[in-house]
Amino acid sequence: MHLKMKLASINQKPYPIKEGETILAFVRRHAGKNKVPTLCDAPNLDPFGACRVCSVDVELDNGSVRTVAACHTPMQEGYRILTHSENINRLRKNIIELVLTDHPLDCLTCEVNGNCELQTVAAQVGIRDVRYPDGANHLERQKDHSHPYMTSDLSKCINCYRCVRACDEVQGEFVLNMTGRGFDAHIIKGANQSFSESQCVSCGACAQACPTSAISDVYQSKSVALQEKTRTVCTYCGVGCNLDIAVEGDKVLSIQAPYDAEVNHGHTCLKGRYAFRFYNHPERLRSPLIKRDGIFEEATWEEAYDLIAHKLLHFKQEFGPDSIAGISSSRCTNEENYLMQKFIRAVIGTNNIDGCARVCHSPTALGLQRTFGTGAATNSVADMELTDCMMIIGANPTDAHPVTGARMKQQAMKGKTLIVIDPRKTELARYAQHHLQLRPGTNVAVLNMMMYYIIADDLVNNDFVDQRTEGYQDFRAEILQLDLQKMEAISGVAATQVRAAAHAYAKAPNAMSFHGLGVTEHSQGTFAVMQIAQLAMLTGNIGRPGVGVNPLRGQNNVQGMADMGVQPHQGAGYLDVTHPEIRKKYEAFYGVDLPAHVGYKIPEMYDAAIAGRLKAMWIIGEDLVQTDPNTQKVIQALEQTDFVILQELFMTETAKYADVILPASSFLEKSGTFTNGERRVQRVNQVISPLPGTKPDGQIMVEIMNRMGYPQPDYTPDGMLEEICQIVPFFAGITWENLGKNGKQWPVAPDGQDSKIIHVDTFKRGKGAFHYHDFAESQEIVMYSEEYPYILTTNRELEHYNCGTMTRRTKNVEILTEDVLLIHPYDAEENGIADGDMVSMESARGQIEVKARVSEDIKPGILSSTFHFPEIMMNMITSNESDSEALCPEYKVVAVRIRKSEPVMSDV
Amino acid sequence: MKVCEAVKTVRKWQNTIEYKPEDHANDSENLYLDVKAGSTFFMSKNISYLSARRGLEDNLFQRYGELVDDQGIISTQDLEKLAEDFLVGTASLYGTTTFYDFLKPENQGKKIYICNGSACLCAGTQSSLKSTVLKHFAASEIGEMCCLGRCHENSAFHYQGKNYSGDAFSEIDEIMLNRKPKPDQYVVEALGEPVLTQSTSDIDGIVSAFQKILERPSLDVLDEIKKSGLRGRGGAGFPMGMKLEFCRNMVDDVKFIICNADEGDPGAFSDRYLLEKRPYSVLMGMLIAAYASGARYGVIYIRGEYPESVEAIEMALKGLRKSGLTGKNILNSDFEFHFKVIKAQGSYICGEETALINSIEGQRPEVRTRPPYPAQFGLFGKPTTVSNVETLASLPYILKYGGEVYNKIGTAQSSGTKLLSLDSHFKRAGIYEVDMGTPLMQVIEAAGGFKTGIKALHIGGPLGGLVPLSKIPDLCIDFESFRQHGFLLGHASVIAIPESMPMINYLGHLFEFAAHESCGKCFPCRLGTKRGEELIKKSITEGYKIDMTLFDDLLHTLEQGSLCAHGGGIPLPVRNALHYFSDEMNKNFSANSNAS
Repeated sequence: MHLKMKLASINQKPYPIKEGETILAFVRRHAGKNKVPTLCDAPNLDPFGACRVCSVDVELDNGSVRTVAACHTPMQEGYRILTHSENINRLRKNIIELVLTDHPLDCLTCEVNGNCELQTVAAQVGIRDVRYPDGANHLERQKDHSHPYMTSDLSKCINCYRCVRACDEVQGEFVLNMTGRGFDAHIIKGANQSFSESQCVSCGACAQACPTSAISDVYQSKSVALQEKTRTVCTYCGVGCNLDIAVEGDKVLSIQAPYDAEVNHGHTCLKGRYAFRFYNHPERLRSPLIKRDGIFEEATWEEAYDLIAHKLLHFKQEFGPDSIAGISSSRCTNEENYLMQKFIRAVIGTNNIDGCARVCHSPTALGLQRTFGTGAATNSVADMELTDCMMIIGANPTDAHPVTGARMKQQAMKGKTLIVIDPRKTELARYAQHHLQLRPGTNVAVLNMMMYYIIADDLVNNDFVDQRTEGYQDFRAEILQLDLQKMEAISGVAATQVRAAAHAYAKAPNAMSFHGLGVTEHSQGTFAVMQIAQLAMLTGNIGRPGVGVNPLRGQNNVQGMADMGVQPHQGAGYLDVTHPEIRKKYEAFYGVDLPAHVGYKIPEMYDAAIAGRLKAMWIIGEDLVQTDPNTQKVIQALEQTDFVILQELFMTETAKYADVILPASSFLEKSGTFTNGERRVQRVNQVISPLPGTKPDGQIMVEIMNRMGYPQPDYTPDGMLEEICQIVPFFAGITWENLGKNGKQWPVAPDGQDSKIIHVDTFKRGKGAFHYHDFAESQEIVMYSEEYPYILTTNRELEHYNCGTMTRRTKNVEILTEDVLLIHPYDAEENGIADGDMVSMESARGQIEVKARVSEDIKPGILSSTFHFPEIMMNMITSNESDSEALCPEYKVVAVRIRKSEPVMSDV
Repeated sequence: MKVCEAVKTVRKWQNTIEYKPEDHANDSENLYLDVKAGSTFFMSKNISYLSARRGLEDNLFQRYGELVDDQGIISTQDLEKLAEDFLVGTASLYGTTTFYDFLKPENQGKKIYICNGSACLCAGTQSSLKSTVLKHFAASEIGEMCCLGRCHENSAFHYQGKNYSGDAFSEIDEIMLNRKPKPDQYVVEALGEPVLTQSTSDIDGIVSAFQKILERPSLDVLDEIKKSGLRGRGGAGFPMGMKLEFCRNMVDDVKFIICNADEGDPGAFSDRYLLEKRPYSVLMGMLIAAYASGARYGVIYIRGEYPESVEAIEMALKGLRKSGLTGKNILNSDFEFHFKVIKAQGSYICGEETALINSIEGQRPEVRTRPPYPAQFGLFGKPTTVSNVETLASLPYILKYGGEVYNKIGTAQSSGTKLLSLDSHFKRAGIYEVDMGTPLMQVIEAAGGFKTGIKALHIGGPLGGLVPLSKIPDLCIDFESFRQHGFLLGHASVIAIPESMPMINYLGHLFEFAAHESCGKCFPCRLGTKRGEELIKKSITEGYKIDMTLFDDLLHTLEQGSLCAHGGGIPLPVRNALHYFSDEMNKNFSANSNAS
């Protein structure tokens, strides 16, 4: 113990204090979590001081005693804390007695009986009876069952404000508040509405925060029966929220978010918390299906494996291994993705392996590799709390990455500098100081302008550029040639606005960027990613907390899928498959000869299929038909492929074109690891047994590998991880055990040390590379804009995930029922379209009908929609264009024309 | 108002805390993860910051008032528009507007308001006033306001933005026709040095006085205030110089001075006097405080029950503006200051400084936890000094005559003078300025004694002590004397309780007031004031005997547990009454505890 240790005592026993802690934190640290009872305190909320049951007596050196609330009183040296003095025991008991004068005494039939904080505290303080005569009370308040998930019974409310504060401090939605004052004060939703009428985003933070059952959910997530919990990682987006899942046998009862999760600190969104009932939906596939004469028939696994092995061996012998291709899934674990690419490479013998990163963040991986040497986020999401400026480009995190989005909103609301570059007025754009509302497809023009101003206005971090980068002088010369007026006209953003944003970014002591598919899904996607990386280098925003380039990865394991080698040009660990030395290493590890040439990317697979060169395609969990652009072409490619094998949970649009369907297990039914968008490898723990008739994807891969003669040991999460760690260099120090609760961020050194930040002293590729790229108009606009004058850009809604295969099979579908088309009031009027009208929208590829929603969130000339629902099939009309470098499709720019759907009367 | 934590003396500690490792051999530090605990102290900040985006220019709280003034009620569409403008939720706004007496939907359609303050109650004037009013208005059109500050003549009511009192109600027909209020008359007298009551100079005098102040370094001005020993007159008595210094030492380019003119204590009208009769002293006090603390913005938050005060201050501000005492480069110096007048909307708790800050921000005016103190995280998250009207109005004198001169007035610990508001039971009711330390008896004598028989004085607002006649000779007008005898000087309003008023009824009135004005944030006050009101009313109307143990537990809970002085303060007069008027109230209590 140090000599200068500052001390205070708890019930006469001395302990060291920490600077800045509260009395409550001090007591909990030394005397346990439950030493002092609390009601209005919650682990993820600021101290509030309402309930006062945490009061303690503090004796001072001068002999005086003060009674203070422990939760918000700062600890000081020499305090003598008495947690259970006679005075305090009396106070606590009498406060609880007052609470009980306005609380129903129906504990036995209450949802949270046995798990109620009021009940616990009442027992702790020893309440036996309520001495007050009957008085005014609020026991007659009506329950609210209006919402698919959220419920309330405010007769149980103790006015602790935890729900109000959760809605404010965690989700940032301000749906809940107190109304009235004094004894009449009570909780409201919106302007005194029901949950379903209010703007509630169903994140459930309030239900988790509530100490009683005043606010809960339809899964009764706080009921005491739900004590057995398994911690795992959410299957939806790339944030990687940890979930505590309560089960009873093989039934999932409810989900809460653990407070000690580094990723989500007790928060999650409605997808993570409530949209889980897809797992045992009646439509889950429960038997292998083989298509015979155009009709799917149930088959045994043996039959299916026999047929597959026979067909694949046949195609391999007859047409060579390159006639077979695999598409793996970013929804699956690292281990499963590793197995899939190993199967395609080592068993089939081709590099034709790709995954859905192709259609989302392949330009990020490529662009960051070219500039920095590593295709991953440089920093951690938590760094936003340390940064001075957030720049969000082409991303709508409050809908697509809700927990990260809520966290960003907290920062933005408190006034942190926020730059949003997006064609839509997103939720975060409302709070931004700088919103550059550009025309879709002109990121490169705007980012070049930003770099122009940083260079021309002498805001470059020359030390960083000199010491850590190369190619700057040529780059500078090119940038300074930029025709600003032209770029202004092209992008539709005033140069003064761009300049102000550039200054804000460059002058911030620490600035960090986040980007999404609005950057990558463009014909110049890779170039835009490189520009974002170059902006960081120009301003020296690399290699320390609160800076960097941070792609918001879309799917739960899209980072891990690429890490595991699901790419036609790189194997597990991003090593170049064409490099002879590396190939030798892989060959020795897999024990087979491997192909030396790069395989097909997904769009090339379609072309090969249409050209008759692709005979078999193995797809895991990807609905190509609904999600890939230009649906007709995808369908044609699948039809032209002789043999399509699909592992799926449901009969998707793509499944209809399969020849064999293997029923797979959901994330709840298997173990493994997912890697989130900040390179964090986290344990996925099996919660329930696989649904009868289904198998985890990894198990299927092992079985087919064995069936085809490759000796792959049985699928176990620790065993698989051990194999992976031997070949993937940045996994070197990972073991199933040492991942613990919160995982590790790669690269992980052999001693287990992980990395919150990468490129600290040097870039992976040595020096950071500057390359200049001119803005180039998408061919979609060049070729079609005359005939199709509007630009459609596609995006996501909070309630649904991608093509909705899972979320449409939950109650989320009651909250958001359909895809709609956002249209500016000016355009709506111009075309005689009113809110709610059906609109016929047509591109060079096709035509669809969709309902209009008039909105000022987009500019005139721009339309915006989603592809969550197969009824609409938005991708019937999306474009053929793709990123020039990574072949990521350009979902974000579609030239269309519109008219009101009703038959139009002829002029004559 | 006073900071809440009760202080009491117990045994001295014999030895200091010593850490012996052997005591901790079996300890393991609890690794319970508290995500935010142990870091800094927060309250909900988001709405503070979001409201700050529009600052004082487009003030959210003022927008509520304007909507109600224009259309009588705030519609859902209005809330949605406001939510959009201020980037908050409709719940944030609905929850806030329903807090205030004049904004809540139930207030719609009220045409005339009758004062229900303690002085009018004790004077017994309001029932005959109400029967007169009922001849002209439907019952549903009659509202209540708590204390219009007409305690010197009572029969007070508010009609269409004007206050009336005394015999005005006899001319109600005329008032409804012409709305011409007579200026109210009351005695204003200084028994010692006239610091606050001395007639202020005209605007030219103000300009030249402030010119001289600006010639001195601001630190000098602060030192002068510190030397004066001036302590806050809102009730807590915190040293003003120290308060300004805290704010001055905060590094921030935006700081605020708030003049707390939400004089809500029923029975007090000394701030009203200063606002209406000495507005230049108040405004110049703000300028001086701003100069000393480095604030660039000032808010005068005036209670809505004082329409004449709002008018008087706005009129005086016009004078200041014309003379170049506002804005940038005041009197060609570097000093910059902007005034903002905000009219409150009916809530006593807004007199508590953190509730007042929340109110200005357009949030629910609930009491914040401290720390952070307003000097650290005040209005819009910026360093802020909140001061009472009387405190600020003392500053021009201090700067004119010097801190030392001021310090010599009064007692060693309570320097300067104090205003007292005497209600209509005094023969010469009105405002009396006395040197601190003046015997209470001397004030009563100066006011000519009482018109009728009285049994107690309620001094210092509803949270102040109940002084029985027998204790009057013991008391002097200063903080220490009152505290020593178990009372509270507070804001020094004096309400006389007539012999005819049963003490239990007066306590019922106090609890009713406390429950009505509780913000509802902390459990002891929200529930305790209501239960206290119920117990006492039950004992009055149903012959119910209050269990003394239970009642004592209730008072203990309020005293020890409440977040602020509202719940923490109400037991003081109740305990005084129990102590000095036990004979009278014996019938209402049972000594037996039925809980044991």
